[in-house]
Amino acid sequence: MFPLSAIIRLCVALRIHPNALTAIGVVINVAAAWALGLGWFKTGGGIIIVANIFDFIDGKVARELQEATKFGGFFDSVMDRFSDISLFVGLIYLYAEKGRTDYVIVTALAMMFSIMTSYTRARAESLITKCKVGFLERPERIVLFMIGAFTNRMAAAMWVILVLSIFTVTDRIYFTWRELNGGIKVEDELEHRLAEIRLSTPRRAGHR
Amino acid sequence: MKRLLTLPALVLWKTFFWTYERATWQYDLLVLAILAFIWLTPPGWLKDPTATGPGLIGLIERLLGVN
Repeated sequence: MFPLSAIIRLCVALRIHPNALTAIGVVINVAAAWALGLGWFKTGGGIIIVANIFDFIDGKVARELQEATKFGGFFDSVMDRFSDISLFVGLIYLYAEKGRTDYVIVTALAMMFSIMTSYTRARAESLITKCKVGFLERPERIVLFMIGAFTNRMAAAMWVILVLSIFTVTDRIYFTWRELNGGIKVEDELEHRLAEIRLSTPRRAGHR
Repeated sequence: MKRLLTLPALVLWKTFFWTYERATWQYDLLVLAILAFIWLTPPGWLKDPTATGPGLIGLIERLLGVN
C-alpha cells in the first residue's frame, strides 16, 4: 500500500528505532483513550487508526533496518497490552462519568477477557507449540473499537468483544488441555458420528 | 433425527471453539453476523448510553408503528 510503504521508507531513511515507533504508538493510543473518555468517538476512532499505523509499521521497519530482535517482539507485545487496556480505561471513565455502572462492568469484563485472550496464548505456547485458536484476536478487537467509535455503537461493540473474548479464552484453555492430554477431539467425534449416520441412511429409490 | 441433532451440535461446537483462519467463508459469515448485530440492533435494546439514532430495526419499527 503506497502511503504505508512511504511512511516505512521515511522511517527507515531517518533510521527511527522500531521500539521508538512502538512506544509512539502507545502514546497515541493513550490519546485515543482520552478522546473516548470524553465521548469524542469519531476523534478517538481517527486517533486509533493513526496509532495502529505505528503498530503496523514497527515490525516492518525493524526488518528493513535489520534490527528485528526477540526483545523487540516482546516489547511490542507488552506495549500492545498497554494500548488495549488504555482504550478500555477511557471507555470505563466515560461510562462511570455517565453513571452507567452496568456498562462499567461490561467494559471491565471485556478488558479482563481481552487481556486473558493474550495471556492464555502466551502461557499455552510455553507448554505447546502453537495455540492460535479462537476468533477474537487483537486485530479484530481494534477493528471493533473503530466500528463502535465511527458508527457510534460502542455499547454493541463492547458486548461483542466481551462475548467473543470469553469464547476465545475458553477455546484456548480447552485446546491447550486437549493438546497436553492427547484427548479425543469432540468435533472429530461429532464428524465421525455424522459420517456413520450418512452411511447407515438408506438411499431413496431414484435418488442419486 | 440423530443427524438433525448431530449437525447443529457440530455447527455450535465449531462456532464456539473457533479454529478457522481469516479469509475463509466461515470467518466472513461471522463478521457479517457481528456487523449485523452492531448496526441493526436498536441502541435502546442494549440501553446504549452514548448511541444516537434508532438503528435499522428501530427505524423499521417506527415505520411499522411498533411501540
